[in-house]
Amino acid sequence: MSELTGYRRENGRWGVRNHVLVLPARAGANVAAAGIAAGAAGAVAVRHEWVGHPDDPDAALVRRTLAGFACNPNVAAVLVVGVGPADAALTAEIAARGQRVEFLTLAEHRGSAGTIAAGQGLISSLLTTAAVAVREPMPISELVVGLECGGSDALSGITANPALGIASDRLVAEGATTMLSEVPELVGAERILAARAVSAEVGERMVRVVEDFEREVEALGIDIRGAQPTPGNIEGGLTTIEEKSLGAAKKAGNAPLTGVIDFAAQPGPHGLYVMDTPGHDIEQMVGLVAGGCQIVAFTTGRGTPTGSPIAPCLKISTNSRIFARMAGDIDLDAGRIVDGSVTLAEMGEEIYDGIVAACAGEPTASERRGNSEFAIRRAGQHHG
Amino acid sequence: MKAPRGYGRGGAAVGVRNHLLVLPSVVCSTHVAGQIAAAADGVGVVHQHGCLQVGDDLRHSERLLTGVATNPNVGAVLVVSLGCETLRGAGLAKRIGERGQIVELVGIQADGGTAAALEHGREAAARMSAELLRREPAEFAREELTVGLDLPGSGAEAKAIEAAFDAAGIATIQPPAGIEGPEAHVELAAAGAVIVVSRPPAEEAPMGFAVAPVIAVGHRSELHEAIAEDFDVSPAAGEEPGALAQRVLEATLAGAAGELTAAESRGSREFVLRRLAVTM
Repeated sequence: MSELTGYRRENGRWGVRNHVLVLPARAGANVAAAGIAAGAAGAVAVRHEWVGHPDDPDAALVRRTLAGFACNPNVAAVLVVGVGPADAALTAEIAARGQRVEFLTLAEHRGSAGTIAAGQGLISSLLTTAAVAVREPMPISELVVGLECGGSDALSGITANPALGIASDRLVAEGATTMLSEVPELVGAERILAARAVSAEVGERMVRVVEDFEREVEALGIDIRGAQPTPGNIEGGLTTIEEKSLGAAKKAGNAPLTGVIDFAAQPGPHGLYVMDTPGHDIEQMVGLVAGGCQIVAFTTGRGTPTGSPIAPCLKISTNSRIFARMAGDIDLDAGRIVDGSVTLAEMGEEIYDGIVAACAGEPTASERRGNSEFAIRRAGQHHG
Repeated sequence: MKAPRGYGRGGAAVGVRNHLLVLPSVVCSTHVAGQIAAAADGVGVVHQHGCLQVGDDLRHSERLLTGVATNPNVGAVLVVSLGCETLRGAGLAKRIGERGQIVELVGIQADGGTAAALEHGREAAARMSAELLRREPAEFAREELTVGLDLPGSGAEAKAIEAAFDAAGIATIQPPAGIEGPEAHVELAAAGAVIVVSRPPAEEAPMGFAVAPVIAVGHRSELHEAIAEDFDVSPAAGEEPGALAQRVLEATLAGAAGELTAAESRGSREFVLRRLAVTM
């Protein structure tokens, strides 16, 4: 079994990857950001749809998401590409959190082409910063692991999710942090989680985030059952959101619930947390990574190749058929629990080992494939 | 002024570009779609939607994706689906086909994973792309153009631009009230605009669009003057609205005749889908 290793950052946090991120502050800088990263081996750019109207009610949420993502310790340094001086605010927020960041704008460099040219010098200096970082043994207490499922089926709650729960319990027992998410997929399981809360306050918050979500959806005149379970879930044998939720919550094992936090917020001291995210696989993964998860363990029944631009995503199939069929897209097969070739406890250990090995540098399937999806959570109030 | 050169798509519609659109039905298939598009010189759309949407929001997204895929600038469409998404790829491809568009479907889960979907998609895209290359553009009357106008808060200049197109016999369409910028480009293309005239607010940068060329018109603002090379038309000091409108018309006709816009030259192909509700 591999030893956990990582990169110790100047702000005391630990990364398990060593990326240089080129981040457009607004969609108008997407092309320049992509152009800078394209010319620099080792740099990764994201693109997004945030146009950046200053009066957009989601502005604070989006800025927190982008800043959190840029400050994930898997990122050694960040180049923010802005449109104009107003985008310095995002850069300042990133710098205030102790991240190495450089900033340039289209306005200073006569547009996209000039910005791409000017970005070359900055990016090579940031790549040099990253290149001097060395891997060293990392304390497990510094690890934050996201617990996600996408494309669930009827086996999710029986195989992969409880096995991931066993891995989560061991991580928490050893002093690491794990983070469950997707509030819409905890509808019906909120009281089970609340009963394990470390305090009455945390338990109340757990129930409240689910109730708030249900109320919000009701106010929009939407029936959540139109989206949950998804058509793919239903084809996979799931019948109701409650059934899906009870299976989804199994990813969190049996550890006490230490806290419930906002989207893209940082967890407190070690333990099991719930982050208030949507069920959308990419929005929630961006939220988890923005909240500091260095790795995401991701169970799937239908088979989804999703990954993050800056964090390894360890894929675990709920059934052996999809594992074989989507060869190269999925890392581990928890479907073997069904035919008895592996026990739930053994699968839990396999997932724990897989998380440690991936953190120690072994590329996951999504990294080998180059999957690097990105999406920004909107609160939905925009355009009235 | 140059005559538009384009591609008849049957009926009255004429496209000024001849794109193979590689359209993911969901964010999860954008990576595969992008690789397929790059291999076949197609236009790969990157968007962040298609899952856990409900009601009007889901229908609105489906309508826009269908509309964009059947824009006359698109000669053929390859829909790339994951398989378990809410905005189902198979249904999207079916609706696109029902509107007379050439369409094929690649499904990551149906094909058996990323590698198989890439192989299937590259084969289909190469075949569709070769077919599109055989179509020769022909000159057509400017009266057959439909131009989308995204001119928020432009006042007299917007009126002058509209009047210039009107005088030239060119039909213009507007986005829904309150919708501007890249979200408006999607709405306009879905409504049939084959070229878009867009004027971003003084503090925002211009953006291109995946499916229709965008003629970017600047303001006399500090930012727009600083990044003038990202615009197609920048107003001169003291320029009369009528004179500016005339230059916008000329730039639009040049774009319609096949000249690359500033956004096309720098590879700006944004796709910003307006959402009506929060993702579940």
